Amino acid sequence: MRISRSFKYLVGALLVVLAVASGADVPASAQGKAITLSMLAGYKEDVLRASLPDFEKKTGIKVVIDASPFGDLYKKQLLSLSTGAGRYDVVFVDEPWIPPLSEFLLPLNERMKTLDLQDFIPTTVASGAFQGTQYAVPVDPNVQLLVYRKDLFEQKGLKPPATWDELLADAKAFHDPAKQQYGIAVTASSDIQTALYMLLAMWSYGAELVDANGRGALNSAAGRKGGEVFLELLKYTPPNVKSYNFADVNKAIQLGQAAMAIQWASGARPMEDKTRSSVAGKLGYALVPKAVRQTPMRGVWTLAIAKNSTNQDAAWQFATWLSGKDFGHAAVKYPSATSAIHSPRFSVLKDPGTKAALPYADALLDSLQITKERPRLREYADIQENLRVTAGKLTAGELTLEAALKEIDAGTNRILGK
Amino acid sequence: MGTGRAGRWFLLPGLVFLFAIDLVPLAYSGWVSFYNWWLIRPRDVRFIGLANYTRLVDDPEFSRAVVVTTLFTVGAVLLEFLVGLLLALLFAQPFKFLRPIRVLLLLPLFVVPVVGATMWRVIFHPEVGVLNYYLGAIGLGPLPWLSDPRLALVSITLVDAWRTIPFMFLVIYAGLEVLPSELFEAAAVDGASAWQSFRHITVPLLTYIMLLAVLIRGMDAFREFDIIFVLTGGGPGTATQTIQILNYRAFGLGHMGEANAIGIVTLVIVAVMCFVLMRAVLRPQTTRG
Repeated sequence: MRISRSFKYLVGALLVVLAVASGADVPASAQGKAITLSMLAGYKEDVLRASLPDFEKKTGIKVVIDASPFGDLYKKQLLSLSTGAGRYDVVFVDEPWIPPLSEFLLPLNERMKTLDLQDFIPTTVASGAFQGTQYAVPVDPNVQLLVYRKDLFEQKGLKPPATWDELLADAKAFHDPAKQQYGIAVTASSDIQTALYMLLAMWSYGAELVDANGRGALNSAAGRKGGEVFLELLKYTPPNVKSYNFADVNKAIQLGQAAMAIQWASGARPMEDKTRSSVAGKLGYALVPKAVRQTPMRGVWTLAIAKNSTNQDAAWQFATWLSGKDFGHAAVKYPSATSAIHSPRFSVLKDPGTKAALPYADALLDSLQITKERPRLREYADIQENLRVTAGKLTAGELTLEAALKEIDAGTNRILGK
Repeated sequence: MGTGRAGRWFLLPGLVFLFAIDLVPLAYSGWVSFYNWWLIRPRDVRFIGLANYTRLVDDPEFSRAVVVTTLFTVGAVLLEFLVGLLLALLFAQPFKFLRPIRVLLLLPLFVVPVVGATMWRVIFHPEVGVLNYYLGAIGLGPLPWLSDPRLALVSITLVDAWRTIPFMFLVIYAGLEVLPSELFEAAAVDGASAWQSFRHITVPLLTYIMLLAVLIRGMDAFREFDIIFVLTGGGPGTATQTIQILNYRAFGLGHMGEANAIGIVTLVIVAVMCFVLMRAVLRPQTTRG
């Protein structure tokens, strides 16, 4: 059977139209490209991988994921980007790393104008900027929350604590080691979370890690008060918090051992998984306590493009997709309760479906609107490492609070060349 | 003569290979250690001479790391050597029922260090760990294996011993198996006790092998990283913060000059350690020979 020439032309034209239509929003320079993404392994990676086929099908852009655990992610990104190895086109970056990596990232100010920025929570957009230049798109806003057992608080007729004094009183009230019931779960190890808990308390009392003159400033009355409250809190924790990390705080809640915890929103979803948590559905979420001010710590995960990437358009397509509404809604519906990427968009976090699936959505949104950022300095990774090591020495009993505060400031000043 | 000279050329590929993969990177590392090179400031790379080294000397954290590393190395190697030797002596006995167990004994050697350490982190876990469960059942626990500053160093030493006792056992056992039986038979005829045979025949003949095992393990333990990183990350406080943990931190933060200086200092310490150990053990043997 012979096919007429005009029929062939018709089929050919149809195929061209279909191909163009399927990638209508994708510039020709991005289509058919493969990009390499440096990604946080595990609980952020899973939900991304589940949705990735949709992106690849829609755009024709293949995404190769190189996943690393949290402790290695910054090191790998810094090494790859700074040496011009060209290994990554796009990097999943924790916001404190934006200033040190900014030298190697593509400025996105012009591209950001193509996004509907009104829908983004403003503090999340700020997390991707440094010295007036936008280097990254927010894709997963994270903030510290107070997690509490609604059932236990109701039994005692208590309201969730709004201040550090109330938090201490409630932690004491619920602390009953004989019954393996503890007031609050936080870390007191050499883990970075310990330093951030301590900093949160110090911030609340008005202290700053780095002051307006660019000098270490924790060794102050406010810093001492915050440090004392943090150390006091450790009296009402499970007995082994000196070896705790992020996941152990979750475990203490999931096993029903702790009445409260201060935890990043990223850790909240597994607590609501009925197959893994004995207290799923019994938890309430609130803003972290305040003293002279309320300072929930911001820790937004962002997506940045390597300055030397040869696939910048494709990388931008990926960034817009990951920060988009469709992915935001898909991530909420993702069945695994161990994996969570939250949207930085008002429209997703305020959606009734999101609120039903994520009981902490309101607390996350409220916190993000008043959240406090860590110092935006190129040297911040070093400053935070100094804070981590010294906080670990404090909780291990190697240093007194006063000596620790002096050591933190001395380290900060040394790093900043002051 | 001509044949001998021609033979030297056969050494060339090996020497070139050694030069390329060993000496060149080492020299480069030494060269970088004289620079102030911070990856986040690629346009500010400066030659600073010995400043990275003097900073290490003045840094109390580094001095403490040297002490922690030495304690860990001595403790781990001593424990591994003694247990390895005892096991080797036991398995050298003609008990047939012990033979299948030899294979089981070697299993930890095949476990990837990070995997083994992660497994032990779960075993040591204060709330869900199996070790504290059984210790509690017999009234000896629970113990804060990784959260107590003194116990944490013991814990990482035990895990290192668990992983590398099989190596010590294997090396010493292999040495025992090839000892000439005539000497032991002659000693028995002369009425030597088991202890005398061990002290005057086994130990002298095994000295080189034991030295080799201790040297290899000593160098290895001094550079141990995986187990400590997974189990404690250097904490609590600085209780298990070894030189390698400091080195990892310096590299991770992009301080290439400082990190390479730490690497060179480690190399020097390990080289001195080997030299001293070899001199101490080999000198009497050489004199006798």
